[in-house]
Amino acid sequence: MSEPVIRMQNIIKRYYVGKPNELQILNGISLDVFANEFVSIVGESGSGKSTLMNIIGILDRQTEGQYFLEGQDVNLLSDDVRSDIRNRRIGFVFQNFNLLPRANALKNVMIPLMYGTASVKNQKERAMEMLELVGMADRAGHRPNELSGGQKQRVAIARAMINNPAIILADEPTGALDSKTGHMVMDLFHKLHEEQGKTIVLITHSQELAAETQRIVTIRDGNVISDKGGTAHVI
Amino acid sequence: MLFENIKEALTSIASNKMRSVLTMLGIIIGISAVITITTIGNSIRSTLNSTLNSLGGNMVSAYVQARYPETDEEYETWVYPDMDEDDYVTDEMIQGLLEAYPEEFKGIATSTFYQTGQIKENSEKYANLSVNGATAEYLEYMKLNFVCGRSLTKADNDGEKNVCVIADTMAKRYFGKTNPLGQMISVDCANGQSLDLVIVGVYEYSNAIFGKEDTTIPEKDRVTCLYAPYNYIQKIAGNEKQGMEYFDLIVDTTADIQLATQHADEYFNENWYADNKDWYIYTYNMQSQLGIIDTVINVVTVAISAIAAISLIVGGVGVMNIMLVSITERTREIGVRMALGAKRKTIRLQFVIEAIVLCIIGGIIGITIGIVNGALLGKVADMIIQSMYSDYAQYIIMSVHPSPKAICLSLFFSMLIGVFFGYYPANKASKMEVIDALRYE
Repeated sequence: MSEPVIRMQNIIKRYYVGKPNELQILNGISLDVFANEFVSIVGESGSGKSTLMNIIGILDRQTEGQYFLEGQDVNLLSDDVRSDIRNRRIGFVFQNFNLLPRANALKNVMIPLMYGTASVKNQKERAMEMLELVGMADRAGHRPNELSGGQKQRVAIARAMINNPAIILADEPTGALDSKTGHMVMDLFHKLHEEQGKTIVLITHSQELAAETQRIVTIRDGNVISDKGGTAHVI
Repeated sequence: MLFENIKEALTSIASNKMRSVLTMLGIIIGISAVITITTIGNSIRSTLNSTLNSLGGNMVSAYVQARYPETDEEYETWVYPDMDEDDYVTDEMIQGLLEAYPEEFKGIATSTFYQTGQIKENSEKYANLSVNGATAEYLEYMKLNFVCGRSLTKADNDGEKNVCVIADTMAKRYFGKTNPLGQMISVDCANGQSLDLVIVGVYEYSNAIFGKEDTTIPEKDRVTCLYAPYNYIQKIAGNEKQGMEYFDLIVDTTADIQLATQHADEYFNENWYADNKDWYIYTYNMQSQLGIIDTVINVVTVAISAIAAISLIVGGVGVMNIMLVSITERTREIGVRMALGAKRKTIRLQFVIEAIVLCIIGGIIGITIGIVNGALLGKVADMIIQSMYSDYAQYIIMSVHPSPKAICLSLFFSMLIGVFFGYYPANKASKMEVIDALRYE
């Protein structure tokens, strides 16, 4: 079997370390995610799934344990290198979209290119391609406040895809959407997974959404309590 | 990247127009004050320069000056000395100077008023004159314009010839259509003397030189100046042996006027007046007068700039304040940018550039207002000159020059304010933890 994209070994996260109100959120989570997997991490609020997602996304550092992204121990890296990895290897999709309000859809999609170290030619064309992929090409000139929730999330997915990342990390991507548009967004993830072969990690509290994915990792009180489906993937 | 940042900054500034303008106000006021005052200073300087040059900038003026006592005790018993024959400046001294510095001094311009006089044919045909002695250089210095004939020459002076030049207004009144050139006139002076003079030139009467003609006096009674050679008048006056009290030295246009002034001063006071207890020669030139005005302008400029600097500092603090507000408002945006791969230094650069752009826009607005202010004040000054000193207006060449140095410096200073006051908020933004910034509500 090939090297996992994500390898987490005994990840512990504590807050207020050394203080009387010290709080342990993750109790030693070990998790491997392989290329082309579509994994959902399910848990109720307070279970620690968001903390886990922040560590996976290199937005936060674990207190103990090791996290390898594509074989690299990211905890040892400097802020600049971690920024660079976020930029090139991870595509974020947030619950509240996190689009920049003053920039139009096209500009929003281009932001990761702006922060990239590699100079990408034809940035606009590349961004338009991504918008086409999510079916938003005709709204390229619109600002976020002129778009519906589902449209915003599709722009956000285009943005996540633009640097061709190793994984797409989606944090409650349908949380702010009604169920119909939520399904549309989910269909888009399935499409990216099946057609583009993307590795997708979906964080959700919804068992229903999780059921659509290949593998369901359930977290409760900072522990993995079930991991159904194994590492096999189906295209 | 830099270009993107500037565009980003402009969008951000434009999205909060009112706030941005209010933030820039301190900088606008400060910079416009500096530009206004430097524009005025620069304009005054160049106006004086061109005006004084047109009125004989290449002159060293000198006169015999009493040695004043240095202490108060001496001053109490001191009496203003009488001038003896030896105390005057003689031709010999002047010749010596011209020979000592032939490269610098071209000649001497001097004049003396002798008597009022009259030429009269009958009770109807007469003209009143003011009889003056002058050197050729003096008439040149006066910038007299000859409508016919010639000016006085050095030969006229050296030969003490009985020739003269008269005003065109007088010539027209007295001679009518007759050509005055070559006519011999007999001038009856107030002291009873009668001078026979041959007219060799007619100069144009100029309000700027002589002042407006007094219109309360009937035209035929008006007095005009007649100039005869200086030495001739000195001879007539019996002052042949007596020298000059006051004279102007004409300096070659290529020579350094300050150096020439110093040379003249040294020449007279070290050679001729070293042993004179009561008198010495005081020398000065228009350029050094200009230097004094220059100093005054500079002092005023520095003083106003210092006040403007306070305004700029206040403006800078305003910028810092608004940048702090801005980064708090945009914490989420900063978090998103960091999540998408922006490095700390990139975030810092973005906000420093935003502060710089804000300050430079303020600076540009301030410069524009300053230039407009300067031009308006120049116009006002010009109007005042035209209405109050219309006689001299033709000699005052008003020109409004914004100082390019001040403009460049202002822009640079605006940028500096942006960097200085933008760095702290920008650095604060860059120090945010990505996860905290993302979660910020």
